Amino acid sequence: MRYAAQKTAQFLIVFVIVTFGVLVAMRLGVNDPARRMLGGTATQANIDAVTAKYHLNSDYFTQYFYWVKNMLTLDLGRSEIFSTDVRTLLRQKVPTTLLLTIYAVVLALLIALPVAVLSAYRRDGLFDKSAGFFSFAFVSIPGVVLGILLLLVFSIHFHWFPANSNKIYPWDNPLQSAKNFFLPTLTLALPISAIFTRLLRGDMIMTLQSDFITLARAKGVSPQRVLWRHALRSSVFSLLTSVGLQLSGLLGGAVLVESLFGLNGLGQMLLESLLRGDLLVIQTATAILVVGVVFTNLAIDLLYAVVDPRIRLARALG
Amino acid sequence: MTLITDTTSMTPTPLDVPPAAEPLPKRSRSKIHVGFWIALAWVAALLLMAIFADQLSFIRLPTAAVKNHGRSTAGYKLGPGWNAWFGVDSTGRDVFSKVIYGARTTLKVGLWSTVIGLLVGTFMGLIAGYFKGTYDRVISIVVDIMLAVPPLVLAIIIVYRVGDLQQDRPGNPGILKWFTRTEQITVVLSLLAIAPLARIVRALTMSLAQRDFVLAARSVGAKNFRIITREILPNLIPAMMSVAFTGLALLISAEAALAFLGFSVETGTPTWGKMINASYRDMDKAWWATLFPSLVLFLTVLAFNVIGDRIARHYDIREAAL
Repeated sequence: MRYAAQKTAQFLIVFVIVTFGVLVAMRLGVNDPARRMLGGTATQANIDAVTAKYHLNSDYFTQYFYWVKNMLTLDLGRSEIFSTDVRTLLRQKVPTTLLLTIYAVVLALLIALPVAVLSAYRRDGLFDKSAGFFSFAFVSIPGVVLGILLLLVFSIHFHWFPANSNKIYPWDNPLQSAKNFFLPTLTLALPISAIFTRLLRGDMIMTLQSDFITLARAKGVSPQRVLWRHALRSSVFSLLTSVGLQLSGLLGGAVLVESLFGLNGLGQMLLESLLRGDLLVIQTATAILVVGVVFTNLAIDLLYAVVDPRIRLARALG
Repeated sequence: MTLITDTTSMTPTPLDVPPAAEPLPKRSRSKIHVGFWIALAWVAALLLMAIFADQLSFIRLPTAAVKNHGRSTAGYKLGPGWNAWFGVDSTGRDVFSKVIYGARTTLKVGLWSTVIGLLVGTFMGLIAGYFKGTYDRVISIVVDIMLAVPPLVLAIIIVYRVGDLQQDRPGNPGILKWFTRTEQITVVLSLLAIAPLARIVRALTMSLAQRDFVLAARSVGAKNFRIITREILPNLIPAMMSVAFTGLALLISAEAALAFLGFSVETGTPTWGKMINASYRDMDKAWWATLFPSLVLFLTVLAFNVIGDRIARHYDIREAAL
């Protein structure tokens, strides 16, 4: 309980400082934020109304207070630059980025788990060596380059996948959606699958040397079961931590991938609203990103306890 | 006395068990891998070409228009070949020489930001890991905050806002004009490096601070400053060397990503990311203008990673919790 309270306090501090920082950063040196939010053609009456609504002429703290208040009452306001409600806007953009991120993590784990387990099982064998080579290459490849190479090979040379992945949701057209999301997902997933593979392989090798593995083998548990149940379960801690850490990189990487493949998601929205000075959208989008990152880390923290009873016990006592 | 210190230092969590229990792999220290030398040769060649580009006769000026049989080559009219090794771009400029001149900017920005990131990150990590308590809590929150914002988003916001403040529009301050775009990118990239570096140094410092030689130094009356600079810092150097190269690789990728999104150094100065951004939409008719800068970028990042990895293996450093 004390643990949860501590974590929540930490989350609140991070959240407040980041969102307040963004607010200050966006307003610093801007004389008339409302005029920028509304674009060049706005009338004075409009400007005054927006200024009053978001308290843009008061000090940073007051404005921040009202922003938080509006967020809590789910009144996200209206973006004049995108000429819709911010809430409608988010409903259009967030699923794309969310799907992309989830696909990427799942695909990366699907690649990394078997590769790492097999590598650790036959350590320094041919499979391990070649997997090590490829994972090193994929850890090193910059996202831009990987995306460009995939586009060049699969889209421009073979025409298997569209170069411009106009987003289509799986619930609208599953096949087309999978086709459109495939290359962006691969661009995000390959590097992190390499990171996961290297981490898990190292931990698996350590685990496979411990006594309880020898015991399990000695009492006649099959190698498959030892590998996938006993050894894997006690080797996933670094992997879990890494999933959380990669997530913030992944959400940032989504900005790049969305731009490269023409996917119209949260990253694109952030970039566009930034270039056009829409204070409100940037503020809200950053808040969502931060909440996403921090909450995943929190969830992973709780997941430790599910995987390892020792941690559960330690926390219950502390 | 020794018995007591031994028992206290030998009861950490299972993760801290020294790896001495398992036999060391034979190949670790004896010979240096051939990949290391290839990587070093690549970096050296690139660095030399970038530094002496003006003197080397086979490198054109990046601003010189390439002629093919006396005719202009604007609009990708010349592919890779003897005249222009990597072909020409949409404005008829030599892609090879732009790649070399781009290396200048990229390496300069990458190196400086790594140095700044290392200095600040190491300082923060040392303070947090050595003094613990309130220092640690404050620094950890700062690090958490920096890690909670996706790095590219942080970089984009800062670069965009600084550029915005510099403009002379009515109602705009037009300040910070001394702050060039190259410097901005350098500072932003070093900001991205600080948090992960501080984390690594903090963890290393915490484990080093519990070692017997620190206790020995303290028992003969050494002050904190001396312990940090003479006992702990030297022991961090091998790990930091390895991390510096890996970090350099990451920062070069980040620079390319920023440039690709349109946040790059001054117009007129080529960088790899900028070149990719300018030509990737025309990849179907002129693959060379995008592929060559991408490959050089990849190989450079790979080379720095190989160097970092080999240093880590040479000094037998366990992969830091990145």
